Amino acid sequence: MCGIAGILSEHMSPEERTDQVKRMIAALTHRGPDGWGYFTSSDITLGHTRLAIVDLNSGDQPITDGRYVIVYNGEVYNHPELREELLGKGAHFYTRSDTEVVLKAFEHWGKDAFTKFNGQFALLIWDRKEKRLTAARDRYGVRPLYILEYNRGWYYASELKAFDLIPGFNRSYDMLRLCEHGLLWNTIGDGTVWRNIRCLASGTIETFSAGSIPVRTRYYSLGETLFNSAQPIPETMNEAIDEFSAMLTDSVLLRLRSDVPVGAYLSGGIDSSVITYLAHCLNRERFKTFSVVFEDKDYDERTFQDDMVAAIGSDHTTVKIDYDSISDNLLDAVYHIERPVFRTAPVPLFLLARRVRESGIKVVLTGEAADEVLWGYDSYKELKLLRFWNRNRASLFRPHLLRALYPHLRHYADSKQFGLIKMYYEEFLSDYDNDLAGLNIRVNNNKSLVNFFNRDAGLVFDKNGLIERLREILPPDYKKWSLLQKNQYLEMYTLLSGYLLSSQGDRMSLAHGVEGRYPFLDHRLVERVFAYPDKFKLAGFSQKHILRRAFADRIPSSIVKRNKQPYQAPDLKSFFRSGALNETASTFLSPESIEKYGVFDKRQVERFLKKFERGQTEIIGYRDNMTIIFLLSAHMALYWAKNPKIGQVHDSSCTVAIIEP
Amino acid sequence: MSEQICEEVLVFICRNFIVEKSEINLDESLIDQGIIDSFGLVEINAFINREYGITVKEEEMNRDNFGSVNKIVGFIERRRISK
Repeated sequence: MCGIAGILSEHMSPEERTDQVKRMIAALTHRGPDGWGYFTSSDITLGHTRLAIVDLNSGDQPITDGRYVIVYNGEVYNHPELREELLGKGAHFYTRSDTEVVLKAFEHWGKDAFTKFNGQFALLIWDRKEKRLTAARDRYGVRPLYILEYNRGWYYASELKAFDLIPGFNRSYDMLRLCEHGLLWNTIGDGTVWRNIRCLASGTIETFSAGSIPVRTRYYSLGETLFNSAQPIPETMNEAIDEFSAMLTDSVLLRLRSDVPVGAYLSGGIDSSVITYLAHCLNRERFKTFSVVFEDKDYDERTFQDDMVAAIGSDHTTVKIDYDSISDNLLDAVYHIERPVFRTAPVPLFLLARRVRESGIKVVLTGEAADEVLWGYDSYKELKLLRFWNRNRASLFRPHLLRALYPHLRHYADSKQFGLIKMYYEEFLSDYDNDLAGLNIRVNNNKSLVNFFNRDAGLVFDKNGLIERLREILPPDYKKWSLLQKNQYLEMYTLLSGYLLSSQGDRMSLAHGVEGRYPFLDHRLVERVFAYPDKFKLAGFSQKHILRRAFADRIPSSIVKRNKQPYQAPDLKSFFRSGALNETASTFLSPESIEKYGVFDKRQVERFLKKFERGQTEIIGYRDNMTIIFLLSAHMALYWAKNPKIGQVHDSSCTVAIIEP
Repeated sequence: MSEQICEEVLVFICRNFIVEKSEINLDESLIDQGIIDSFGLVEINAFINREYGITVKEEEMNRDNFGSVNKIVGFIERRRISK
């Protein structure tokens, strides 16, 4: 895994551009500490900082083959097969690296090459002949690429912090986008919370030429094969289990391809347990596994982790997290996250990645995305229940299923509170099946954030406006999908790409030069499972049903049978102790900070904080936890934008310098 | 009496859910207004129990009793009288 940066501008001298790209790359060396390189010409400069995983000796970048130059961040796991195919077509290779395969594939197939890649990547390819830059990103947006149009030029970078080193440019919030992010956990389309900065949308390619508008092509959209797959859909659960197990095994096998050892994260849930189990079976050497354990028992899953470690005999390492670990490290984690978050859950993963790297591992497999692909989230259950209840609103029995919704939330399981929960969900019966699907409830829970923004921004909650904006990005077939398939699409475009893969994924592991690999996101598997009947994934209220059935005999039963516990860390509790905010939080949420940053309403924040000075209740609700972390992290992200770290790359570690006259 | 209860309920809602009195429509659902989520209902229930000694029965947990500030106040009054 690596960091990439570039500037396309004919209005700068090559020397000035090179200097700026070197500064940008210096801000990204945590993503790739193993060397850096650049290419510069009269039109463009491209930079790269490398984390060496495949072809350790000759895989340095940029790579050029005459007409094209590439900088590439990612892995294409099927590169050996593509290499064979290209050799058959007369291609010559000079290295063993997958980067060269990607470049030759592009040379041979053009944009169609991207449909052949199985992997996670963001890349820039410069066509010297046509003077045209192609930017592309993987199907699900695992690897980042941001774009800034500034000073009559285009700037590209793996992380936003690289832009902070461009002379004269200052990152500031786009308040409307920030509010949208507050409601959905992501911005809609290719926007970011930052003014004038967008990302390259997942599954798309864009081409840039000096002086013209970029041309975008979408090469992948979730569910694209649903109505045109030549392969018949398995009719029985047993057939589906066989097919699914084979696909997942192959996905893990591909993701074990590496010239350095691969480890795995073990959360204690079924997803990472299955991945670890498969990796253990496919990998003959003793395997390294890593887990977070919590001092606060409400969050701790170590008994399940221990069950799995005992089952496979892995070489296991844990990182212990207490309230101080969270409050002392949120600021450093947000340096990498670069946007507001709603939970502190990324922080333990930030600390875990550091330990992984210290133990000599650069690549880890994780169980991420199983909840989206196999319908593990409660939003799927909520929708199913609302639909069932709505068909007979007078039923006394149907709403009682609400008791099964959130087994881990004490106030939902308490039978004395049942009537309240019923009343709450009743509110959604009239519009649960609009285009927001499962997001209706998230938006409703988050809309109190709107009151916290600076009143001068004039933000109001407008659900219909939000739905309208969302409709613009929905694929043409969306209307034909089942309600739960629609929900999967939305979960993958909001929570997965806007939080789990970025804030909690890419940014946390690459803060310490560790690459995450996600077997559940193999596009062949995602597309196939998307087409399976709904009941294979959510049978009754049994979530990820096919996964449980497929691995019931191979994973400890304690893990297969346990209720889902979402991975979380202590939020408000980490910053509020004995009735007072700790130092970090009081600095970032002081009236002076609110005044200085201008993002939030001073009075509203003061009143919110006062609530806890009167003492905390035994159970802290979702909203209070979310609000404090959102406020804190929004200020922290802005703090880093205004106070960038200035790094330096040294000539001694430069591995490639291509300077074109 | 009802004015006093209404004032107490409003003070609790304003403090706990960070809203201004002027922002609350007394006849509209607090959920619809975005003031509370499901946990907010649980907190209001706990407040009623703590302040007025009323244990809300499951069949009383409905919109007729909880559907707005005025309905909550009316419910508290009725239960105090019948006590």
